[in-house]
Amino acid sequence: MAEEAAVSLYRSFVEKDPARAIDVIERAKAGGMTREQLFGALFVPALTLLGQSWAEGGIDELAFMQAAVVAEQVTSFVIPSATAPDRGVVVLVGSMHRDTHSVAKDIAGGDLKEAGWRVIDLGADVRPADFLEKAEETGARILLVFAEMTTTARAVVGVREVFAAEGREDVVILVGGGPFEADRKLARVVGANGVVRGAESALRLVRRVARDLFGEARS
Amino acid sequence: MSAEPRSPHLLVAEGLARQGRVGAAVEECWQAVQADPDDPFARSLMAGLMLAGDFYDEAISEATLAIEADPDCSPAYLALGLAYDRRGGMWDQSILVWHELAEVVPDLVTARVQLGEAFAAANFDEEAVEAWEAALELDPREHRAIYDLAIAALRREGVATALPGFRKAGELDPSQDELFFDLIGVTRRLAAMKLPADPPEDAAARVRLGGVLAYREDLFGALDAARAALDAGPEDADALALAAFTYLKQEADNEAAALALRALSLRPEHAPSMYVLGVAYSRRAGLDRHAAGVFARLLQWSWAHPMPHVLLAECYLGMQRYSKAETSYRCAIELDPACVRARFGLAAACLTQGRHAEASWEVRRAAYYDTEREGLFWKLYDAYVEGRS
Repeated sequence: MAEEAAVSLYRSFVEKDPARAIDVIERAKAGGMTREQLFGALFVPALTLLGQSWAEGGIDELAFMQAAVVAEQVTSFVIPSATAPDRGVVVLVGSMHRDTHSVAKDIAGGDLKEAGWRVIDLGADVRPADFLEKAEETGARILLVFAEMTTTARAVVGVREVFAAEGREDVVILVGGGPFEADRKLARVVGANGVVRGAESALRLVRRVARDLFGEARS
Repeated sequence: MSAEPRSPHLLVAEGLARQGRVGAAVEECWQAVQADPDDPFARSLMAGLMLAGDFYDEAISEATLAIEADPDCSPAYLALGLAYDRRGGMWDQSILVWHELAEVVPDLVTARVQLGEAFAAANFDEEAVEAWEAALELDPREHRAIYDLAIAALRREGVATALPGFRKAGELDPSQDELFFDLIGVTRRLAAMKLPADPPEDAAARVRLGGVLAYREDLFGALDAARAALDAGPEDADALALAAFTYLKQEADNEAAALALRALSLRPEHAPSMYVLGVAYSRRAGLDRHAAGVFARLLQWSWAHPMPHVLLAECYLGMQRYSKAETSYRCAIELDPACVRARFGLAAACLTQGRHAEASWEVRRAAYYDTEREGLFWKLYDAYVEGRS
């Protein structure tokens, strides 16, 4: 059936019929094809047929280019989305009070946002009370606290204390920054649940935490 | 007006230096310096030679003397700035030098690029961005400025904002197409040969001719040659790949993909087609994973070429697989330490993992190899010699 649909899509390219092309795609979707499958099982074979037709002289140069234009018109229907869908999970990100370093935070925050997490960046020099206030306001249960100095890293314990005082032991605090990478015990000492070592690590850890907190659907 | 006469020792030193015989050149240059300690030519050449040997303190000393003898001695400024930058930790001084060089040679793009890199190293981020943007105003194709701006964007907002810059610089990279020509067997030497008067009868020869035409950027001629080969045999994967390449170069990505896919349906391990398909995919946001799959297969056929590693690494950056990107970039650098694109990519991967010092180091290495490759010292020296009259 996918093969027939691919042939049908190819014909719609050659016949310069974008409406028909979209119809073919919509039918395939209605038949249960995912976006990923649409590209691999439908669009790619249709393009292959187009290439074959040109190579064998079945269509001329002009028809080839016009068919490619129709293919271009439907790519948004078949190409997987570049940005991840919204996961509906808020992640608070900030640099600890009295710490103005922000590069690691900005990179991790940017990547988390790109991966579909609702990132709220509180900036640098964030007081523990500000983390709490924002968490209460947004319902966030995942915090990412960065600290690049030993003094500010040790002070992260204040974040856990503030949340604990309000009975918010349900909040997961992840920490990041040089001191935490250098001293594996420091994260536990300050009451953090995990250490983020760069953007990829942040992506992995946040996904795992979200799965634990909210289940597979939102991770 | 003729150039200012230079001493015989200096002329010999220049000749030896251009041949790469640095030791002998230094000896001759030293004679020239002893004969006239205030000769800016001799001092600046000595600075260049010291720089070539990575003797940065000596280069700084000689360049400073050259500038004292002539404040418009552009090669001395270049040698001085590069020596400061390569030595490291002298960003304040190098900023001043690059400013001066930009005054002395206002259209020298590298001066602005280096100025930006010095600013960035000294944490003057806004000034760095301004310097790179000024470089791009002088030359919109200046790839290092594009990479530098991408790295700066990455520091502020993550990889997604940096990727467009990497891709744009990648498209301006002539060495990328070298991979394709390598895969189809078109060498620089072959491409320089005289073309036959009549088109060849043999299909393979036609395709080879088409490859040469493509190398010479005669894309229509290359497409005609591919078309002629396909008329004789429509299942010729090499001809299909060549045709696909010509469409790729004209940014007709769907046509390129269609022909590459057809070639791969006939010969699933056809490396030139994999290259075209991978690049066509990589130009589409959302197809990084597909492009990565294609480049990973291509690597099995051209693992000794740095470019497939770079192309794969860039896909991994798009997929947020930074440790894999790092591994691929390191492979590329091991194969070609002078691969500027890989150095900047590795810097990006290091930054995502919080390794700022390593990232800075890679940017500095990129600058080192890029300025060496440009042969900028000799360009400025020759212009300076010509201009001093």
